[in-house]
Amino acid sequence: MNDRGQRILLWTAPPAVALFALAYLLFPVFSPPLSPTLTPDQVAAFFRSNVTGVLGVAILCNLIACSLVPLFAVTAVQISRTASSSPVLTYAYIICVGVGTTAFILADYCWGMAAFRPDRDPQLTSLLNDMAWFFFIAPVGTIMVQNLCFALSVYLDERRDPIFPRWVAHFNVATVALLAPSAFSILYKSGPLAFNGALSFTLRLTTFAVYIAVMFWALLRAVKHQGHDRVALA
Amino acid sequence: MATAPNPEAGQARSWRQNRKLDQWIAFWSVPFFFTLFGLVFVPLSWMMPPRSPSSTTPLIVDFMRSHNLLVACVILTLAFGLAPVSYSCYLIQIRRMSVSPAFRYSMMIGAITGAIVGMLFPMFCFGLGAFRPGYSPAVLTMLYDFGYLAFIGSLGCFCVMWMAFGLAILLDQNNILPKWLGYYTVWQYVTELMAAPVWIAKSGPFAWNGLLTFWFAMTLYVSWQFIVYLCIYRAIKNQPEAELDNARPELQPAALDNGSRMGA
Repeated sequence: MNDRGQRILLWTAPPAVALFALAYLLFPVFSPPLSPTLTPDQVAAFFRSNVTGVLGVAILCNLIACSLVPLFAVTAVQISRTASSSPVLTYAYIICVGVGTTAFILADYCWGMAAFRPDRDPQLTSLLNDMAWFFFIAPVGTIMVQNLCFALSVYLDERRDPIFPRWVAHFNVATVALLAPSAFSILYKSGPLAFNGALSFTLRLTTFAVYIAVMFWALLRAVKHQGHDRVALA
Repeated sequence: MATAPNPEAGQARSWRQNRKLDQWIAFWSVPFFFTLFGLVFVPLSWMMPPRSPSSTTPLIVDFMRSHNLLVACVILTLAFGLAPVSYSCYLIQIRRMSVSPAFRYSMMIGAITGAIVGMLFPMFCFGLGAFRPGYSPAVLTMLYDFGYLAFIGSLGCFCVMWMAFGLAILLDQNNILPKWLGYYTVWQYVTELMAAPVWIAKSGPFAWNGLLTFWFAMTLYVSWQFIVYLCIYRAIKNQPEAELDNARPELQPAALDNGSRMGA
């Protein structure tokens, strides 16, 4: 009966995605994304005039920050079902999820802090904003390893009837390449690699959205075919 | 498919047929990660060996604005996901031991908390200063302090990891890892606690760049870490193929109950 529980957890993902999309659309910092070339005074002025929008979304994201964790947890369960010699990829996947989610929460806190007392010294507001962008855009290392672990588990799966189609693994490898440019946002203040740029911002968020949709579909399929197959998440 | 029932043929098979391929890939990512980690912190950014907590403001400001800190930050943000893989290499060995899963879960949680507070956050403190050189010296010195204190002074999460690891080795009856490594680990993490005074001392042996808190603790830690991974290498190598989760997958699709986890 372990497929029913997994299906319930999986179906928490669409409302979570809807809430994230809402947060994205309402967030003043993203429409359009703040430029890294703004001076501390301009950043402080921005937060002073957008207190409600920033705080509202920061509060919403504080509530929903971990709401994609069930999807990742089901992924971990399915990775543990693939037949390889040990749960090493499952463990690495779970740790990566914990670390990556924490980074997202820290970004949310920093933006919330900037709007909580907008009359702070502009230097500090600007620092909080930079720190939020760092934590939001740059730390792609964990999701890259996460997706590589998933892909490896599919490639190494020795079952006659594999749990995931191989193209899902290829897709995960492709996301790794598409997410990697975001790390370079630390080096640039303008252009596609800057934290508001086409590669670091738009491509990263689009890739992530498509990735969640594809994984949702692949996991539904895997859980459906699991049947009474026993599962041990070690 | 797996067509190698004969264990004698072990050496002759190509790497692709290796039954422990997942473990070996994870294991060999460890030296790669630690090499990058060393490069980032030492020759690239010169964050390590640590600068003095009592250095003058102009020196701190000068250091915090160096462009290399940004390059180091980029490499670390790309690579820090490999730290979880290196910890997973410990976890799979603890799983083979005759101890409660609580030990590996403790380690796992320690690894999750430690990665941000002990690695990503301090690195970002240094990167943020260099990202916007216009920050006032007061902000830069705060980032400097925060970066070093979080990097050298974060102890609790790692402490619980090594404690769980050491205890698991000592309590294990399957002799997965040698008992002396258990005692060595306990001794190592107790000695590491010596770094606690970095939050108080601004100079001398207990400052964050001190003889005891940094040099002595780091020497112990690096040599211990090296020995641990040698032992883990041997443990992976010596694990009998019949014990692997993918032993005869057609009979045990979920790879369960194959005798390697009698304790649990």
